[in-house]
Amino acid sequence: MAEAIRRRWGHFRRQPVFTGFCLFMAVLALNIIIQTPAKFFTVSNFRILLSKNMPLILTCLGQSVLMMCGVLDLSTGIQLAFVNVIAIMLPQELGVPVGLGWACALTGGVLISLFCGFCIVKLRLPALLTTFSITYIIKGVNVLIMGEPQGKVEKIIYKTYDSVLFGFLPFAALILLAVLLIWQYIKRTRYGRHMYAVGNNPRNAYAVGINPERVQMKAFLIKGFIVGLAGLCLTASNASGNPLQAEEYGIRSLSACMLGGMNFGGWGTLSCGLFGAGFLVIVQNAVYYLFNFLTKAIQGLMINSYWQNLVSDTIIFLGLLATIITAKAQRETLKQGFVKQLKRGEKYGG
Amino acid sequence: MGSGLRIRRFVKYNRPGMALVIALFLLLITVLINPKSLNINTFGSILVQTMLLSFAAAGQTMVVISGGVDLSVGSVMSMAAVITTGIMQGQGGRFAQVILATVAMGAAIGLLNGVCAVRVGLPPIVITLAVSYVVTRLQYVFTGGMPTGVAAALFKKTVQYRIFGLIPAATMYAVVIWALAFFLIHRSRFGKQLYLTGNNESAARLNGINTRKIRVLTFVLSGVFSAVAGVLGAGYMGMSQCQLFDNYAYNSLVAVIVGGSLFVGGVGSYFGSITGSLVMIVLSNGLTVLDISQPVRNLVLGLVMVILLTLYNRAKPIRQ
Repeated sequence: MAEAIRRRWGHFRRQPVFTGFCLFMAVLALNIIIQTPAKFFTVSNFRILLSKNMPLILTCLGQSVLMMCGVLDLSTGIQLAFVNVIAIMLPQELGVPVGLGWACALTGGVLISLFCGFCIVKLRLPALLTTFSITYIIKGVNVLIMGEPQGKVEKIIYKTYDSVLFGFLPFAALILLAVLLIWQYIKRTRYGRHMYAVGNNPRNAYAVGINPERVQMKAFLIKGFIVGLAGLCLTASNASGNPLQAEEYGIRSLSACMLGGMNFGGWGTLSCGLFGAGFLVIVQNAVYYLFNFLTKAIQGLMINSYWQNLVSDTIIFLGLLATIITAKAQRETLKQGFVKQLKRGEKYGG
Repeated sequence: MGSGLRIRRFVKYNRPGMALVIALFLLLITVLINPKSLNINTFGSILVQTMLLSFAAAGQTMVVISGGVDLSVGSVMSMAAVITTGIMQGQGGRFAQVILATVAMGAAIGLLNGVCAVRVGLPPIVITLAVSYVVTRLQYVFTGGMPTGVAAALFKKTVQYRIFGLIPAATMYAVVIWALAFFLIHRSRFGKQLYLTGNNESAARLNGINTRKIRVLTFVLSGVFSAVAGVLGAGYMGMSQCQLFDNYAYNSLVAVIVGGSLFVGGVGSYFGSITGSLVMIVLSNGLTVLDISQPVRNLVLGLVMVILLTLYNRAKPIRQ
């Protein structure tokens, strides 16, 4: 019995998700202590946590799908705003039925993701810089469609999104479960295995008869769908439109995936992205309660939203730094993967 | 040598010259569409802005030659501007303090970038982006969102005054900074080692160059140059805001690439970056003259970069 447990444990330790899981559990414990268990383990707390952070969690899942194939997308964040803008503006300006408008928004998310995929996969441009520039393009398009933050969502939509089914299952969790189920299916198909092969080494994958370009484009398609869902979640949870929001989700999701133990190409699973996202979410939550606690405990201490923003951005930065610890074993591969993202061209000219 | 071949060689190998041609071409288009824009004042402001951007691009050039990217240029500039007006408060005689404070700030942020990017081994683009977010938030925390103070009148004059109505007084800063950057990149031992590091890091290391030190140093210098650019930018604007110069991060990067540096490292020149800055400023001037809105500008800037990458930075196809 003990032998079996030890073997299981040893097996689990070698899983990509191990570091992410440990980090997540550590901050979860910390958060429960700060927030007190009685207040943490309530349905409404879970509902708020999930419905507010579902866009970020889904973005991280999308990013980890890409990273599995050895590519990445920094413009994921602003793509959420793009979906949000379409979902608000189509019904408001053109009188399109809400359902159809939202379907169009989802399609728009997929299309814009495919555009990124085209630039990176077909044109073979360096992923990091290209998607960083594409951020500017999408930002421009967003503001062209919607000049300033405006619009509203019908009450039934955000009520449904915030609702709790059967007294314990938040609606947002249902979306997450659906995405994870779809992924469980994709992972088991032939395509799922091709993703790892291409991520590991596109040249070798090509040699054994896999079309790397098609596999990577399909990854962008899946990511586009997930990001489209994330954008709709963002619309439902904010109940309004803002063309310039969520831009930092791109780098945040990258940071989360790396924290979760994700690596470029052939290493890591979707749960890496999930635990990485969970880590960021829980840390943010814990910081919020810590600040609340501090303002109550210390008289005359005023903390404005600027401080909160500073702390949350510092956490992204520290999260990136923490990859030294988490990705220790795979650090060299991670580094090389990034070099691949950064420089693709050969030397040219003189 | 036939003229056709000569032109092709010029386009392919003389990127700074090509940048000058593009800048002239863009200026010509702007003037043709809107003849009113052709006046001495426009030229003056194009010159000043080109200088500002080229100061910021000096550090960026070094970083790109060494094979990295620095996206914190813009936020360091904004931070420097906020510090400048905060210390000056419209009074003269505090220039030394301003320079000391901002250069220390720039060097510290550059060191942070460099250590994280080189020692920790994370990609510079991601780390500098994260750092620039933090620096931007710091501006808001320090100033409460509303920076106070204005630049000193005399200092403002040294940047804004136009000799004969055309040549900006900022030229005297430019002479010093350009000379310094030229010396660092093209004439010093550091510059030689920089090119070697960017060209082939392992070969450079085997030749006894401390490549890590060189790469950290490029980030520190980038921070210092952008801090100085921020101080002068505050003099040009007269006041400061949070995130005032944030777009300089991306603009300086595009300017450096337009000027002929390559992301793969080891290729590039500071003269190229200055001409690249001219292209960027003429382009943005043209967009202003043609009354093109901010979102379309963003679109154009993004497209320019994607096109540049497509032209110069494509990977080899997999099936070879």
